[in-house]
Amino acid sequence: MGDKLKRYEKVEYLGEGQFATVYKARDAVNDTIVAVKKIKLGSRAEAQDGINRTALREIKLLQELKHPNIINLMDVFGHKSNVSLVFDFMDTDLEVIIKDNNIVLTPANIKAYMLMTLQGLEYLHINWILHRDLKPNNLLVNCNGVLKIGDFGLAKFYGSPNRIYTHQVVTRWYRAPELLFGARMYGTGIDMWAIGCILAELLLRVPFFPGDSDLDQLTRIFQVLGTPTDEMWPNVKILPDFITFKTFPGTPLRHIFTAAGDDLLDLVAGLLSISPLNRYNCHEALQAPYFSNKPPPTQGPQLPFPSSVQRNNEHEKPNLKRKLLETADGAPHPKRLVF
Amino acid sequence: MDEQACPRCKTTKYRNPSLKLMVNICGHALCESCVDLLFLKGSGSCPECNVPLRRSNFRVQLFEDSMVEKEVDIRKRVLRDFNKKEEDFSTLREYNDYLEEVETIVYNLTNNVDVIATNKTIEQYKKENKDLILKNKSKIGREEMELEELLEEEKQQDEIRKRELVRFEQEEKKKKVRVKEALIDELMFSNADAKNILETFANSVQTTKEEVKVVPAIRATQFSTGIKFGRQRQQNFLPVPKIEEGPLYVYEAPRQPTDGPLPPTWEDLEVKGYINHMESEKDEHRAGGYRSNISCLRALQEALAGLYHVSDRTELVS
Repeated sequence: MGDKLKRYEKVEYLGEGQFATVYKARDAVNDTIVAVKKIKLGSRAEAQDGINRTALREIKLLQELKHPNIINLMDVFGHKSNVSLVFDFMDTDLEVIIKDNNIVLTPANIKAYMLMTLQGLEYLHINWILHRDLKPNNLLVNCNGVLKIGDFGLAKFYGSPNRIYTHQVVTRWYRAPELLFGARMYGTGIDMWAIGCILAELLLRVPFFPGDSDLDQLTRIFQVLGTPTDEMWPNVKILPDFITFKTFPGTPLRHIFTAAGDDLLDLVAGLLSISPLNRYNCHEALQAPYFSNKPPPTQGPQLPFPSSVQRNNEHEKPNLKRKLLETADGAPHPKRLVF
Repeated sequence: MDEQACPRCKTTKYRNPSLKLMVNICGHALCESCVDLLFLKGSGSCPECNVPLRRSNFRVQLFEDSMVEKEVDIRKRVLRDFNKKEEDFSTLREYNDYLEEVETIVYNLTNNVDVIATNKTIEQYKKENKDLILKNKSKIGREEMELEELLEEEKQQDEIRKRELVRFEQEEKKKKVRVKEALIDELMFSNADAKNILETFANSVQTTKEEVKVVPAIRATQFSTGIKFGRQRQQNFLPVPKIEEGPLYVYEAPRQPTDGPLPPTWEDLEVKGYINHMESEKDEHRAGGYRSNISCLRALQEALAGLYHVSDRTELVS
């Protein structure tokens, strides 16, 4: 274990979430840049329960997953009672890209991001895993324009006939209506809904359903898609937290996404289908005409990159140049100290 | 009769000099205060013909006869779609026929002749000439912009010339005063003959006048440069970023090595009856998006996976 501590030298602090602190680090063995996620120990009571649940989930699930669009867990090491996970280093995430006003997202760019996300998610679903926390913030993008799904802290196996699941998952804005109505058994539909919200956000550049409470969230959804009837969503009324809503007629998607073509609108409608059983799954979504139609998806390195984050390789060059200059000049001049 | 009056509140121009009549698409007039009153909510119906109207479509009446107003309105609307130009036709005859047709449509709509049939022909025309209409629209837009630019340029030139003229005149005045003063000074202090002095001054004034006359002539020739400006603009297209397009996407179902017999597909669950061994899901769970075939397929896949697996790591066995 000791050599692993030495193997990764901290470069800079990147940020922290509820359960973990993330550092950028250099892998001394391969001389590559990685991200180290150090799980927070939490309070004494939590620590007594053993290793943090989210960390355990990530380790358990990610160790066996290998896909170009899923974040790669390269290593796990512990020190005393700490656990650290080592991931590929990702320069930015989709949220930064969506919010950056200097970036123009062309239809081809959006198609490329959607394709990568759906391919990663299809792999997860085939392996019976629900991500349960899909949002732009968790879709990581590196400087080569490759998108990888990250943060498996809420991910879970699905498809057990007698296991009850919590409905308090997924950031509210991306939470599917069945979760908001308190469904305790659900399927891949909840991830697909989140993908639909992300697609809408890529098109509009603002969150599609930014609800400030669970009720407001449902109201916003029904204002766009119309309040579900028994024909649209059979048995919706027997879901545990079902509440009768005012009947909204819904807004045609064409009026919201005025610049979108028919194939794209079909995909949005399929992903944001109010009834989870009618919703597209990854297999259906990837076969939608939108993806095979023109324009073709943008190639990875040509995808836009936020100006706030320097591309790694460009960042390294000036340093190197300076070092060369310094060696050419001989030793740098010693500073004169003034007393 | 000449008196303009609002048909609703009967206010006349005489009684209220600030009376402003407004018209909407139906061609019936209303005064401003009646519009404010009736269309408080933004929409309502015309008090004379009950046609539903929007408040935002009300405009100030320009022509005394509201029928003319209506015609102008309709013509504008029709010409938005019927925007073909002479270049779009092969013969003059065809172009004339087209213009005739447009006139008929406008006439029909203004005088309520065959409104439904006319509207149908418009719709059909729109459908048939969708691309051309769009193309011409953008062309017209561009042409209009150029024209506006030209006008703007001319206006600027005009202003510059005016200012120049004023400045010039003032200078001229000052010069005259100066010359006069110089002449008086010369007459006062010089020992030369007064007649000679007067003559030389008169000569110099004459020559400067001739010079002055030449100058504005040159200015005038500089004028027609405005056209050039407009032409240059025409070639200013937005830079289109060159992007190497990759290949189109083709779906490929992912392959999962299972190390075992091939598990059944989703269809097999029903067809081969695997699903019959499962308890079917409750209505409540189905509403949440759960189906028992999910568990069924997963159980079968997990049962079959790895059956053919051969460990090549011998050290594990020992």
